[in-house]
Amino acid sequence: MKPFEELLWHLKRWIRWRRIRRGVTWGVRGLSLGLLLALLWGTVGLMQGWFLREEFLLFIALVSLTVTLVSGGCAALWPLPHLQSAREFDRAFHLRERISTALELHQTPGVTWEELQRLQLADALAAARRVHPYRDLPLRIRPFEIILPILLSGLLLYGYAQSGSFFQAAQQARQVQAAIQEQSQTIQEILQQVETNPTLSEEQKKALTAPLQQALDELQTSPDLERSVSVLVSAGEKLQTLADPRVETTAQALQQAGQQAAAQENSPLQAVGEQLTQGKPTNAATELLKLDPAQLSAEETKQLAEQLREMAQAVQQSNPQLAHQLNQAAQALERGDATAAQQALNQAAQSMLQVGQGQAMNQAAGQAATQMQQGAQQILAAGGGNQTAQAGASGQQNLQSDAGAGSGRGSGDNPNAQGGPAGSNPIPQNNAPGDGGETTYEQIYAPSLLGGDGGPQVGVSSGNSQDGQVLGQTPSNPSDPSQSLVPYTEVLGQYEEINRRAIETGQIPLQFTQIIRRYFDSLKP
Amino acid sequence: MTALSIEQFRQIATRIEQEVDKVIVGQNEVVRHVLISILAGGHVLLEGVPGLGKTMLIRTLGQALDLKFSRIQFTPDLMPADILGTEILSDEGKQREFRFRPGPIFANLVLADEINRATPKTQSALLEAMQEGSVTVAQKTYRLEEPFFVLATQNPLEMEGTYPLPEAQLDRFFFKVNVNMPDVGEMVEILERTTGKETATADRAATGAEIVAMRALARAVPVASHVKEYIARLMLATHPEDENASPLVKKYVRYGVSPRGGQALILGAKVTALLDGRYNVAFEDVHAIALAALRHRVLLNFDGLAEGIKTEQVIQELLKEMPK
Repeated sequence: MKPFEELLWHLKRWIRWRRIRRGVTWGVRGLSLGLLLALLWGTVGLMQGWFLREEFLLFIALVSLTVTLVSGGCAALWPLPHLQSAREFDRAFHLRERISTALELHQTPGVTWEELQRLQLADALAAARRVHPYRDLPLRIRPFEIILPILLSGLLLYGYAQSGSFFQAAQQARQVQAAIQEQSQTIQEILQQVETNPTLSEEQKKALTAPLQQALDELQTSPDLERSVSVLVSAGEKLQTLADPRVETTAQALQQAGQQAAAQENSPLQAVGEQLTQGKPTNAATELLKLDPAQLSAEETKQLAEQLREMAQAVQQSNPQLAHQLNQAAQALERGDATAAQQALNQAAQSMLQVGQGQAMNQAAGQAATQMQQGAQQILAAGGGNQTAQAGASGQQNLQSDAGAGSGRGSGDNPNAQGGPAGSNPIPQNNAPGDGGETTYEQIYAPSLLGGDGGPQVGVSSGNSQDGQVLGQTPSNPSDPSQSLVPYTEVLGQYEEINRRAIETGQIPLQFTQIIRRYFDSLKP
Repeated sequence: MTALSIEQFRQIATRIEQEVDKVIVGQNEVVRHVLISILAGGHVLLEGVPGLGKTMLIRTLGQALDLKFSRIQFTPDLMPADILGTEILSDEGKQREFRFRPGPIFANLVLADEINRATPKTQSALLEAMQEGSVTVAQKTYRLEEPFFVLATQNPLEMEGTYPLPEAQLDRFFFKVNVNMPDVGEMVEILERTTGKETATADRAATGAEIVAMRALARAVPVASHVKEYIARLMLATHPEDENASPLVKKYVRYGVSPRGGQALILGAKVTALLDGRYNVAFEDVHAIALAALRHRVLLNFDGLAEGIKTEQVIQELLKEMPK
């Protein structure tokens, strides 16, 4: 090997060692930085409910490892020009500028005599051979740089151990979001069903899809638990208002009348009656349209007129218009006016068809409303009934007066005691103290969950139960993940404040304010 | 390539130092600096109280170097012609004519003893000789024989009747070497040598040709670019208006080092490197001769002089603070 090549070989060897040394040194510094970033970022993430337990550990490991590798890698791969490195090695190894001078002389020949240059190179090479880079430039890491990552790791571990409630809150938030997502899909399916329902008219479809589409839009903006429940309950309410109770009465009356008609063998209205008996007014209308009075015998005409009058009598209360049309048809038949009879029968068939459509509308609206209520319950259930834990994670509880939805089902003696949506119609919720029934509303807002040991136990008892049996109660074991961590008095204070603001701003009708105040008074410990 | 190898360079230098050591006790650094200055082709100003052997040192050096030596005792009535020479009327031959009679400056090694006793006019007579290596008398220029060195001494104590060297004159000196009082052991040795029955003398250790060859070799020693840059930054930092000047420089320095100072640093460092057995200049070489090369080129202002600041302090602080 030529002298200069050998000198370069030594220089490259030293540079390699220097890269390793820098990589390790900066890797350790990067570890500290990574841990610090992970600590800060992780703390923010915990507060924001970004992480589950495993995700938090993975995040810490990833951030620390990434910063360590990037830092160490960059330091190790940082460009190290030969000449600059030679100058630094001259100082580090006390080579008295031999190596850098030799490199410069090689790069710019003619600066001095060739013989002197050769001698200088030989002198530099001899000095380079005496260098032991690992001994003369040892790998040194300052104690502080070792202690710092240990301290930061300890802090992270401590934070990890103390962050159970945050992980739980994050878990609940995920479940709520999943439930909201699920409800969004359900609404989309309902919308599809409505659109493809052949029985419904376009207007009915439009009326049905409007609240559903609005609810879907709002759910897709990733609302929080309260807002999403409020949206679903509101949509359910709107859907319920679309249902016409008279339609059902008319349908029942028609069904009863249909039974009589179906019972008469070979009567003209037998087919109509059978369809009505099966609860299919639309099909019955079709059968009715098939009737041609002109082709009936006198006896059949008479029988048809009688049946029409009986049917008209049956629907007189629920649908006078249909009754009138049926009576007109009967009168026309009795007069022998087949044309008028046919016209009246067609009108009656049209009314019957409307009854069928109304029935379908009611059914669709009812199903959708039920689905909305169930969806709200599912979202509330996903919240775990431990809203206070989530509040601890988010730092504040943004409660809305109309978001306290509950569709509690009474568990008392009255099976029809359906809880309406809270906030919009608080009276029939059946969730006031003593009203009885374990309701979803109470799982969220009624502070039946008590934090800490030894706190007072609050239960919601059924007003109809014999012994005031406690129906809503959460475990008070601190290790239980579902335990509320926010003190009862603090939660109650928040809700009282919200209630006070709602009353002051006129959101609650005056006649209900006293009831609500009594309710909160009864909750005070 | 020079006729000298580095080993020969070191051997000759060592021989010179050994011969000087026969006569001069101690003062190793002074001897080394004077030798460096001679091998770099520069003139030396020796400053010290009387009796420290300044004149003896230079005389001994003259003996060791086998060079034509002359001594000029500077006094207030010394005239330039007494140094340079003069034209005299000669009647030898058929006609009378003016002929130039060379002064004591026409030697290889000139000892300008107590140079600050002469008037500025006489001092300035040395300027051309020191800078150009020639003298001009009666509109005729006479080349001085190589090698040519002026080794001047001055006494810092006696201010009465002295004429401090002007800055331009000081700048011509390659090194200014301070001769300090010897310690007890050296003093005893001096007493023994100078009061015994025999007086030590130096033998010839080098010829003028060898000195010239050594100067050529020294000039060929390479200097890495970052070392040159360091020297340039160091020089500029002695100027109070420079942005890199230290607070001490800004406060106490009137004028900084001229480019001659940089030349002295590089040439002196080259000789130092060779004497150390190296073929390249290191930062350590620069540091080793920095005080001798710069102390007479850094001029303090009134505050510096009033507060007793030494130029050595300023230079040492710069050497300490200047990044390499």
